[in-house]
Amino acid sequence: MLSPRLRFAIAVAKSASAASKWIGNKGETLPGRILLAIEPEAISLLAAGKEVILISGTNGKTSTTRAVASIVSQLGEVATSGSGSNLAWGAANALMSPAPFAVLEIDELHLPAIIAQTDPSVVLLLNLTRDQLHRMHEVKRVADRWHVECTEATNTIFVADIDDPFINYATVNAINVVRVSFGGRSHPDGAVCPRCGSYLTWLRGNYSCTCGLTNKISDAKFKKGSAAYRNAILANLVGEVVDAPPIAFTETQLERTVVKDFAGKTAHFRLTKNPASWTEALSAELHPEVILVLNARQVDGIDTSWLWDVSFAALRGHSVIVCGERALDMAYRIHVEGVEPVLANSFEEAISLCKRSDISVLSAYTAFFELVM
Amino acid sequence: MLEIIRIHNELLGTYGDRGNADVLKFRAGLRKIRARVTDISYLDPLPASGDIYLLGGAEDAAQLLSLTALRKGSILKKSADRGAVVVAICAGFQIIGNKYVTRDEEIKGLGLLDVVTTPGDKRLVGDIAIRSDLFALPLTGFENHSSVTTLGADAQPFGRVIEGNGNGLAGLDGAINKNVFGTYLHGPVLARNPEFADLLLERAVGSAIASVDDELALRYATWRRSLLK
Repeated sequence: MLSPRLRFAIAVAKSASAASKWIGNKGETLPGRILLAIEPEAISLLAAGKEVILISGTNGKTSTTRAVASIVSQLGEVATSGSGSNLAWGAANALMSPAPFAVLEIDELHLPAIIAQTDPSVVLLLNLTRDQLHRMHEVKRVADRWHVECTEATNTIFVADIDDPFINYATVNAINVVRVSFGGRSHPDGAVCPRCGSYLTWLRGNYSCTCGLTNKISDAKFKKGSAAYRNAILANLVGEVVDAPPIAFTETQLERTVVKDFAGKTAHFRLTKNPASWTEALSAELHPEVILVLNARQVDGIDTSWLWDVSFAALRGHSVIVCGERALDMAYRIHVEGVEPVLANSFEEAISLCKRSDISVLSAYTAFFELVM
Repeated sequence: MLEIIRIHNELLGTYGDRGNADVLKFRAGLRKIRARVTDISYLDPLPASGDIYLLGGAEDAAQLLSLTALRKGSILKKSADRGAVVVAICAGFQIIGNKYVTRDEEIKGLGLLDVVTTPGDKRLVGDIAIRSDLFALPLTGFENHSSVTTLGADAQPFGRVIEGNGNGLAGLDGAINKNVFGTYLHGPVLARNPEFADLLLERAVGSAIASVDDELALRYATWRRSLLK
């Protein structure tokens, strides 16, 4: 039975949602904010009657949340986050639904509080690498917070990709963990053991530490593959925990890719927002013409120093056009690596400069949403 | 052959500072100065033959590991004493100071610069610009740390802060002593400020170097300066 205050808060939030949509917003932030302003306990109150599943990590949150939601929806109606709406008010907004299941994408810094408030049955932890350092400050800082909350969440089953040492450390003292390994992979920030501070020993993508932290001992082992392939398997493992039948996903279903036509040309968009996602994107097949779009707003990360931690050598031999608010940061970066870009003033101009029908577009977070959504 | 030593990038590579070595090699190449970047990992001995040594930013545990490895043989200090160029950013700057203090302990540094770093009470995150007597124009960068660095009698400040925080004290950033430079500017600082890269090349070569026309570098540096408040 909902309290009168919670019922009032939901009513106000829902009318705000309708109004917000009417004026052209997606209507996912405002209602959640209103709900939490009127009833600060709304998230825990609304989660109480639901089976809650949370997904977090630096990369792959949105697509994996979609995959988990479709798997769990075989069991019953699922409330889920709007695309990228992964802060507390996004969770509050999704939880207003009467659905018996909630599958929510949660921002890395918000995860501990949302775990504490929703007492989730399953939490899927994908990876932790450098992202938005102006906000996260340090990867270890985020992992420390996860470590504390994962240890305390004794009712929750964690599905953890322990090939990432930060994920392994986060769940090392948790009571219920399904530790998953894909046979190891390198980690851009994984030189130091996040548990004890020693120099990690890495051998062919697998790590071990004198303190015992290693990915060599796991509960489920799979062969190596792309991030999309791994996330499809992890999503189905979450499904297995809640007794939902598996779904076979194609890799493209789990990639943050969108194909969209612009002025008679086909642009193949891919979301690239930090060193790990850029490296993943640049290891895939690219068209001869490539457009790079770089912004540096809050959610992109306001600093672009990290561009120098990505190797753009894969772009050699391609025709590269750079645009976006921080186009010059990108242009100079790849110039020093021997890739000579053409600078465009806008994405439309960049497209118009392309001569072929299919173009690869690697895009920062904010630009990706503006151009394809 | 100009030897550029990039020290412990797997530890001191949190913030893109590896790009400083790439820019130095690139700008040396524009002048037909042969240069090579050598990556030295935590497990490798530090060569004593470097012309330029580079250290970058790091998280706490990585910073301590790097310092511990660099103490062996005091090679960096000896290289600096013979006139080699050393550029140390953020955590690297703290490592080459006299000491730095964490919440738990006091750690003796490598002693290349007469500075002491202590924990500050707030995180200093954002764009930074400084004015240094070494350059006609301001230098720009990005800072992200939570320390306060105090200069001793033997260290000169690298620059005066005109935007941001730097050392977190007295409106100063960094420290210099002959060819040893410490600063809080990421960016990477040499990508954002080619005149700084050229000064380092000149110091390493030991004579004036030709001016070059890299239009994109100039355009980039000028544009980033134009964003100053």
